[in-house]
Formats: sequence, C-alpha cells, structure tokens
Amino acid sequence: MAHMAHYREAHPLPFVVTHWVNLIAMIFLICTGFYIHYPLFGGVMSIARGLHIFFGIVLILNCLVRVILAFFIKSAPAPGTRETVLDVKTWLPQCDNRHQLWAWISYYLFLRREHPIAAKLGVPQKIVYLLIPVLILFTGYTGFCLWGTTAGMPIFAAGLDFLGGPMKVRILHYFMMWVFLGFMCIHVYLSLIEGVSPAKLIFFWKETPGLVYDPETMNIVGFDGMGEEPDCGETFKEERGE
Amino acid sequence: MAVQEKTARASLDDRLEAHGFTRRDFLKYCGSLAVMLGLSQAAAPQIAEALVTGAESGKLLPVIWMEGGSCSGCTEALAQTNTPDIPELVLETISLNYSETLSAAVGFSMEQARKDTIEAGGYVLVYEGAVPTAFDGNVLLVGGEKGIDSLAETAEHADAVIALGSCACDGGWMASRPNDAHAMGVQKYLADRGIVTPVVNIPCCPANPEWLVAVIVEYALMGRLPELNSKNEPVQMFNQTVHDNCPRRGHFENGEFVYRFGSAEEAKGYCLYPLGCRGPQTFTNCPITRWNRSISWCVEAGAPCIGCGAINPLHPQRNWVDESTPFLKRHRNISLGDFHFQPPVAALALTGRVVAALGVHGVGMKVAGRVDGGADFEPERRWDVKHGDEAAHEAGRRAAKLYEELDARGIEPKNDHRFRKMREAKRARQQEADARAAAARKTDDPSGKGGDE
Repeated sequence: MAHMAHYREAHPLPFVVTHWVNLIAMIFLICTGFYIHYPLFGGVMSIARGLHIFFGIVLILNCLVRVILAFFIKSAPAPGTRETVLDVKTWLPQCDNRHQLWAWISYYLFLRREHPIAAKLGVPQKIVYLLIPVLILFTGYTGFCLWGTTAGMPIFAAGLDFLGGPMKVRILHYFMMWVFLGFMCIHVYLSLIEGVSPAKLIFFWKETPGLVYDPETMNIVGFDGMGEEPDCGETFKEERGE
Repeated sequence: MAVQEKTARASLDDRLEAHGFTRRDFLKYCGSLAVMLGLSQAAAPQIAEALVTGAESGKLLPVIWMEGGSCSGCTEALAQTNTPDIPELVLETISLNYSETLSAAVGFSMEQARKDTIEAGGYVLVYEGAVPTAFDGNVLLVGGEKGIDSLAETAEHADAVIALGSCACDGGWMASRPNDAHAMGVQKYLADRGIVTPVVNIPCCPANPEWLVAVIVEYALMGRLPELNSKNEPVQMFNQTVHDNCPRRGHFENGEFVYRFGSAEEAKGYCLYPLGCRGPQTFTNCPITRWNRSISWCVEAGAPCIGCGAINPLHPQRNWVDESTPFLKRHRNISLGDFHFQPPVAALALTGRVVAALGVHGVGMKVAGRVDGGADFEPERRWDVKHGDEAAHEAGRRAAKLYEELDARGIEPKNDHRFRKMREAKRARQQEADARAAAARKTDDPSGKGGDE
C-alpha cells in the first residue's frame, strides 16, 4: 500500500510538452553526438551535425522555456493533491521536504522498510532537477565553443580559452553527454521501478488512482479510487454523505 | 666563381632570374603575401616594388635569429629546400645578422655581431625553439651566457619578437610531459620577466616560412605588425581551422571516411577524421598556404592533421603534443597519476558501473517487494515522530487509521491496473485449478474407494 494518486495537476500540460521535447532532443543529441565523436558508419555526417546543432538549440530554448514557465504556471506541490501553487515553489525545497534527505537515501539503500512521505519531488530528485538546467546550459555553452560558426565569438572564445582549449572542451562536452546518459538511466529506472503511473502521467497525461495527500497537514488523508475502486478516508466522507 | 660572385651581389630581380623565377612568379608570390597580410591582391606590385627597392637601397631590416630549446626544424623548413625558393630569396633582402645555424661565423665574432645589432637597435628578433628555464636557466648556455639571459637582453631592445614555431609559442614538444626543462614559450617568458616588446606567435611544427616572410615583409614595408588575435597570432593566417579550408571537407560532409591506412577509402582520398585528424580544432591556414612552394601539405599528402598549430602561449602545459596525443585517436589521453586512458574508456567504465548498480538495486527492490507500487508509506515522517508538533502527530494517527481501513477493506493501491489485472488473472487461474482438482477428487472417489489393494 504505497502509491499516491497521480493527478494531472502534478504535471500541467505545458510541462508534459517540454518533457517530450527534452526527451526527443536528448535522444537525437546523444545519437548524433556519438556519430560526430566517431562515425561508425559513413554517409550522414552533415545530417548528423545539422540535427545535433538544431536539437542542441531546441534543448537550450526548451530548458529556458521550462524554467521561465515555472514562474507563471501553477502545479501541485505534491502528488495526490489537486491543489496547486506556483510551479517554481514545487521545484525549490518545500516544507514537505524538510528532514527527508536521509530518509530517501536510507529508503533506497534498503536501510528502512517504509516509503518516506514526499512532496512532488523527493530531496535527491530536487537536487538533481535543479542541477539539470545548469548542466544543459553548460553543455550547450561548450557546444557553442566548439561549433565553428560561434567559436570565434568573444563570449565563446573566452570560454574556450578558460576551459583549456578545443581538445579539453571537446572532451568536457563528451563527458557531459555521458553525465546526461547516466542521469537518464537513473531517472528512467527510478520512475519505472515502482510502477508506470508516473510515466503514464508525464507522457500521456493519464491519471491513476492512489493515496490522497493534504499539503496543509503534509500527510496522507485518503484514497482516491477514481471510480475504479472505492474511495476511502476523511476527504471523501462528505461525498459519501457520512 | 665570378658568376657566383655576380649572382650574390646582384639585384633581387637578377637573383630571381638566375634561380629560374620569372617576374610573373615573383608578382604571384607578392600577391599571395598581400592576401596573407590582409591586403587586396592588387597590392602585389607595390609589395614587389618595395621589396626590390629595399634590396637595392641597402636599407635592410636587421634580423637576429636565435634558437632556444630547438631542433632547428624551423630554420630547416626555410633553408633546406632543394633549390632556393622565392621566400628564401626575399628573406635574403633582410640583413640576417645572427643565426646560429646559418651563419658562417662562429664563436666570439658571432656573439659580437649580436651585441652590435642590439646596440644599433631597430631590429627584429626571430626566436626559434622553447625557452628552457630549469636550473635557473642553466640548461641552455650559448657563448657562456644563459640562453634565457640572451633572449631577455635581445628581446628587450628589439622592435618586435617573432616566436617562430610551436616551441617558441608555448613550449611545444619541449614543454610536453614531464617537461623536465620547465620549457615555455617566448611570450610567457618575456611577460614573466616584465619585458613588454610585442610578440608575434607563428605556430606549427615547423612553422611555414611563408608566414614568417609575410610578417617580416609587413613590418619592413609598412612599419607595423599584422593584426593579432588573442593568442598573438596574425589574424589573417590563424583565425580559421584547417577543417574550414580542407580539400577533403566535402568527403567529411558526405560521411566518406578513411578508417584504416592502406584501405580503399584512403586510396579515394576520403576524410581522415576517424583517424584522429585534428583539423577541426587547429586554427591555421595550412590548406591555403600549403608547404614546399605550395606543392602539398599534411592532409593532402594523406596524413591526418596532428594539430601542431594549436598553441596556448601562456599555458605551456597545454602544448599541442600533450593536447593531441595519441595522434590517431579522436581524443587526447587523460592522465590520472601514471594512468593514461582515453575518455570513452573512463566514461564507459563509470556508466557501466551505474547501470550495473541499478541492476543490482532492481533485484533488491524486487526482493523487498517494492517493485509493484513501492513500500508502504510511513504514517508520519520519522523526524516528526521525534521532533514534530501535535498537529503532525495527529495527521500521522489519521494516516495510520486510514491504512488500517484500507487493509481491512482489502484495497491495495498498487501502481497500475495491469498488476491488479495480472493478480486477478492469477487468482482466477488458481481458483479454476483448485476447482478442477476438487472436481477430480469427487469423481475419483467412488471408483477408488475401497480398492482391492
């Protein structure tokens, strides 16, 4: 018994779109990046480079759009609730996260049996998600330092020099790709290991039944069966006429 | 003998003719110089005239050509052509007052020539090779004097210093690991000693004589140094990559590559990128200037660019050798202490470990029964249990009550219907099998009851 209801409020539609764009752009970037690093087969270098640069720019713009939207769009501060606050508040540390870092780590290290109560994002998740935009922008920056068209611009030339010249920047850019690859492995694993509800929500905007969370008391108060299973808990007492 | 004497003392025009160059060849060369200097080709006649006048007037630009930690390769590149070419003849119109490799004079008289030139002033210093500074500069002694002191003295009074070749620019080969000689480039050394004479860096191993001629001619004719980029290289020659102007670039864009020397692709002249070509990150105009009287250059001759023109004047540790080896791999090696490895190896090893750890973790999650919906929630945050206020405890009690209610009603909010359907199907199959077994026992009973055995 441990599953929050997945409501659309957790991931409003614009964020479902930016997540799709992220996914597609990253897959194209990684595939074309590998090809540019070492073309295992012939034939498509100019296409690979064109796509790589195009999706690199798409990823950066998408990242900026996502960050800016966080200041304008409201989303649920936790799964299992339809109440919403400004998205950026769910992104930065919340009251719900307090004292929960070790709880999460110990849960994933099998040092405790019970699932920690979380906000929409657990503490390690928040740390990583705050880092990802920085990594995207940094990787994009190193990419522009390497791209012939922009390498000569003072802002990129300075970076190229500061980071140790084209070869080091090339290796850095390459390593950053592996960081994203590693992140994607962990991200996909953690989103799917306990079930596919989070994936259904972020990809197809499909809600699934589960426990209901009250952001005010910061605890679980009911169970929403969404018409497929019986509802339980104090939240639904009024609806049930109790 | 008389003919040789005449040739040696003849005008530049006569000497060019004596070596088989026509006036047209000379003008073409002056045109290429003009382009390298950032002028229009239309400036070729003026350059030609100035060169001839300079040679005839006897007002030659005094040049001191010193060597530090050097293989003399840059001198060789200029001097060791099978027949004298136009750049060499043009350079004869300068007054090369000191050159360790080319001078007929040796010993004291030669050092005196350098001192005299310094005293007279108005000269240009061409420095070839790295500046080795270890043991307080005692690793290089010339004429009983420390090489670094000779450099400092000569550079301080020069109008300009031309650091010729990658070693002179940032230490090059000499500064590569472990750099026991503490070698560095001229620009850094002079900056460290507080000498402010302008330095022009002309990289590559060896430096192309045409670049040197272009810089000297610009200085001799116009009295100014060429426009320099952030690495003090002439902008006109070193602001585009080898890749930008490579004759094999079309094959690169088409994705036609050489993967192995001696292959059919190599015979077709395909792109050398997979063989570690450093063209995309080496900022020189080798494909345009080319070498040996513009006959050919590395990539045209079938060798991938090894990036010998990539310099970092103020960072000897970023010399092109350390930055590019192994030459035939796409990346340089990374070093951790005595371990040297390629970046992909490190990246694969790390990511492989992450994936393996996730695999092991996944097994753990399965064993712990968390795969189908995760573990049960804690009724109250563990921290709150100890430190929380009454409201938190109250919320915790409510949650615990809810969980009991859910348990009592047999509601198990797992992650997905699929799992529930699977469980239901499994349960149904089990019930069906049980029912069949029960029915079979019933039908078996009468016949089997009280058997004869």
